[in-house]
Amino acid sequence: MTDTVVAVGAGQVSAVLARTLRRRKFDGRIVLVGAEPHRPYQRPPLSKEYLVDGDDEDLYLLPEQWCADKDVELLLGTPVTGLDVAGRSVTLADGRTIGADAIVLATGGRARRLPDVEGDRILYLRTLDDAGRLDQLLQPGARLVVVGGGFIGSEVAAAGRARGAEVTLVEMLEQPLARVLGTQLGAVCAQVHVRGGVQLRLGQPVESIVQSGDVVRVRVGDETLEADVVVVGVGIEPNVELADAAGLKVDNGIVVDEQLRTGAPGIYAAGDVANVHHPLYGKSLRVEHFDAASKQGAVVANNILGRESTFADPYWFWSDQYDLNLQYTGHATSWDRVVLRGSLDDLAFTAFYLEDGVVRAAFAIERGDDIAAAGQLVAAQARPDPEALADVDTDLFDLLEGE
Amino acid sequence: MVDDAARVRAPEGEAPAPSSGGSWVEVATVKELARHKKKLVEVAGEPIALFYADGAVSAMYDVCIHKERSLSKGIVMGGKVICPGHQWMFDVDTGWCEEEERCQPSYPVRVDDDGVVYVEPRQRIARTADD
Ligand SMILES: Cc1cc2nc3c(=O)[nH]c(=O)nc-3n(C[C@H](O)[C@H](O)[C@H](O)COP(=O)(O)OP(=O)(O)OC[C@H]3O[C@@H](n4cnc5c(N)ncnc54)[C@H](O)[C@@H]3O)c2cc1C
Ligand code: FES
Repeated sequence: MTDTVVAVGAGQVSAVLARTLRRRKFDGRIVLVGAEPHRPYQRPPLSKEYLVDGDDEDLYLLPEQWCADKDVELLLGTPVTGLDVAGRSVTLADGRTIGADAIVLATGGRARRLPDVEGDRILYLRTLDDAGRLDQLLQPGARLVVVGGGFIGSEVAAAGRARGAEVTLVEMLEQPLARVLGTQLGAVCAQVHVRGGVQLRLGQPVESIVQSGDVVRVRVGDETLEADVVVVGVGIEPNVELADAAGLKVDNGIVVDEQLRTGAPGIYAAGDVANVHHPLYGKSLRVEHFDAASKQGAVVANNILGRESTFADPYWFWSDQYDLNLQYTGHATSWDRVVLRGSLDDLAFTAFYLEDGVVRAAFAIERGDDIAAAGQLVAAQARPDPEALADVDTDLFDLLEGE
Repeated sequence: MVDDAARVRAPEGEAPAPSSGGSWVEVATVKELARHKKKLVEVAGEPIALFYADGAVSAMYDVCIHKERSLSKGIVMGGKVICPGHQWMFDVDTGWCEEEERCQPSYPVRVDDDGVVYVEPRQRIARTADD
């Protein structure tokens, strides 16, 4: 019998966990312990609509009334400082200890910081409080330098333009997003920034970032960029310390199987902090996607309730930049062919990443209607005829049936 | 919430002809929907997306409740309309989105014996999955 479920971290995973448990009529105690003082909220808007115009309509995940009706306890602003694996309990910063039948480690990650870089105008963006600080400094006409051309850096650059800032985006690789998309599609994303009025500095690492007074100087190659505000977006580090200290296996995140179980009975990990064995890709992967966090939260809930469930989704994420909608499904670290469907020039296309003819991933700009089928092609490890794939008149679902 | 007088999905040829004097508006034929699977129409100033799936026609407000993308640019799969914006999935009959526990407005649809499709421009919004 499961009487008490405790989640460590009150973010995306935990919100979906609680919702799924109650939807499945679990009537035991649910406690979500969060280090942040805020009610569970979603992060994607922080670099998009919330940053652009403060739109917080969709920000919060579990309305107060819902928590009251469903009897879900939120203990906020009190990090968990100790985890007792054998005794299955957690200790909070305020000294309280809570025993549980199931403990879910959903501590996410923190922004990776650049060493020896200090200053109140040099910001990172992970939390609502981070977004608040950025909001204050991002005035019309402000000079914004974004360090890191990944998804968050790209979105901050776009949002900065929408707020009337002068924006420069600095990326060490040849193109923004090149690590995920490759140089060919990264170059398309670079053009999107140029079109949006962003200055690019590509293929050069940042040498130094120094704030003096209200000015930050960013040294790139032999050039010095002056900024009123700098946002550094160079990835996250998973919050594994608690699991590590408790003796759980940690290797690029908390190591779990496809049912999100750690080696210890009744203790699960999910979301950004979890390195999850993925049956489709045949290896362990730690990803930082909203949808994977949500789906993993639901898988954990099912497993806690004894409904055996695995996470085998091919992955999906989106990014909104300027007026464009970007989506990606699958997981490709290497490919030998990119098949294009639609038009690069019109910024309305889907690119399929193939390896030995097998669809490994797809990236779409303004062709989100291809993505559901593309995800199924990835999951089926389909080998569609590339010409048919490229033809916008082909129904992608027909290519699945050909398997 | 589902109004008995107006079936959401009207199997071809089975639904009664629109009653005279009602506000039913002719919007398409089953034949063209069967071919194109979806169609964007405007009724009483509202953009409405028509979908054809499993031999039935359904109608939804075209503007997604999430971030206002156009549902008629999406797809229908397994009884769900999938928005091209961020893949929210709405039940083709009720507009209910299970994951978000929110509802996309839908409209009553009728198909007459000649395969003409009518929509009543009266939005219905479910408040729970069972509505
Ligand atoms: C600005 C931004 C934009 C993003 N945009 C997108 C997007 O467009 N698409 C997409 O797919 N993904 C996006 N993501 C990623 C997505 O938000 C994450 O994948 C998701 O939030 C992961 O959920 P989680 O529950 O694992 O972690 P989180 O939501 O980070 O929640 C973890 C929580 O645990 C808390 N915590 C940590 N340690 C402890 C402790 N010891 N005790 C108690 N609490 C603790 C943390 O404070 C945090 O609140 C974005 C992320 C950011 C930061
Ligand atoms: S706009 Fe429809 S899902 Fe986001």
